[in-house]
Amino acid sequence: MNKIWFIMIVGSICFLIWSDPSNILNVMIDASGEALSLAIELCAVYAVWLGVLELVEASGLGEKLAKLLHPLIKRIFKIDDAGAEKMIALNMSANMLGLGNAATPMGINAMKKLDDGSGTATPAMIMLIVINATSIQLLPSTVIGLRAAAGSASPSDIILPTIIATFCTCILGICLVKLCNKYFYKKLSKKYKHNKKEIKK
Amino acid sequence: MSAYIIPIIFIALFCYSKYKKVNTYETFVKGAKKSIPLVVDIFPYIAAIMIAVALLRASGITSLLAYLLSPIFNALGIPTELIELVLLRPFTGSGSYALLNDVLVQYGADSYISRCACVILGCSETIFYVTTVYISQTKVKKLLYAIPIALICATFGSIIACLLCKIF
Repeated sequence: MNKIWFIMIVGSICFLIWSDPSNILNVMIDASGEALSLAIELCAVYAVWLGVLELVEASGLGEKLAKLLHPLIKRIFKIDDAGAEKMIALNMSANMLGLGNAATPMGINAMKKLDDGSGTATPAMIMLIVINATSIQLLPSTVIGLRAAAGSASPSDIILPTIIATFCTCILGICLVKLCNKYFYKKLSKKYKHNKKEIKK
Repeated sequence: MSAYIIPIIFIALFCYSKYKKVNTYETFVKGAKKSIPLVVDIFPYIAAIMIAVALLRASGITSLLAYLLSPIFNALGIPTELIELVLLRPFTGSGSYALLNDVLVQYGADSYISRCACVILGCSETIFYVTTVYISQTKVKKLLYAIPIALICATFGSIIACLLCKIF
């Protein structure tokens, strides 16, 4: 992430120095303002969903859902942590309902529980990121809304191809992570931990 | 139909909580309280990524990249008009919806290009945004292969989307 961000910022500024140097700061401040309004919007969304989440937990529904999805989660994530499993179950359910913003706080909680503090992502964390990044979405409501607004004759006829495509990407993602976890994870994480020790010395 | 799913879930949840003798009001407030610290924590990450995306778009690098990469994407079956959308989608949700709207207006909502754009957006996620926000509360610095895999899947999704739109 550090590298990508650095390249994006430095590359763009180098380009802009040629074309439009006076605008650089404005663009950055505007974007940060946009981020602030998004954050406020998210705060409202999260307040509703975290409230609901608390209810789900307090009533014991979270455990029930986790139990229901247990075989699936066990298979995909290979973890032994009831708390994390519960959060993952809620995160996946919210994603399937198309509530990406509701899934976020649950995903963050799950991540916290999966973190082992080593600085390197655990296999389960990588899996959760990829599943969320290729999220199965059964109802692309924003897209349909935009399409209807643009005057489409049948705005919802993209649902079927969208569902097929989203399933394909999600399955591909899970398989790729499984493969990489099996063949590359040990090597890569060892390499990194090794480097860290050397730096400490 | 789908409009009823959420309300039904909510009614069921509230009634079930009541049945389990949970104080719904207090519990809800307790949960809602966590939203402000959470947003305060993730705001800098959102800001950083949105600033980078804004600069990238303002600089014109994306259109240049779209031009340079068009032979590759065309070979994969993705129309030239949609390359910018495919490139920006992993970074920004609002930005890619704005682009989708441009495509819809320019080519007509029922054209092949527009349908492809809709499916591409529907089956993908803002990978970098999701990743930064998700790991923002952990100590993780090294993600190993998480982002490359997510990007491969997104590209694959775009290819499938364009293919499916030809069939349907």
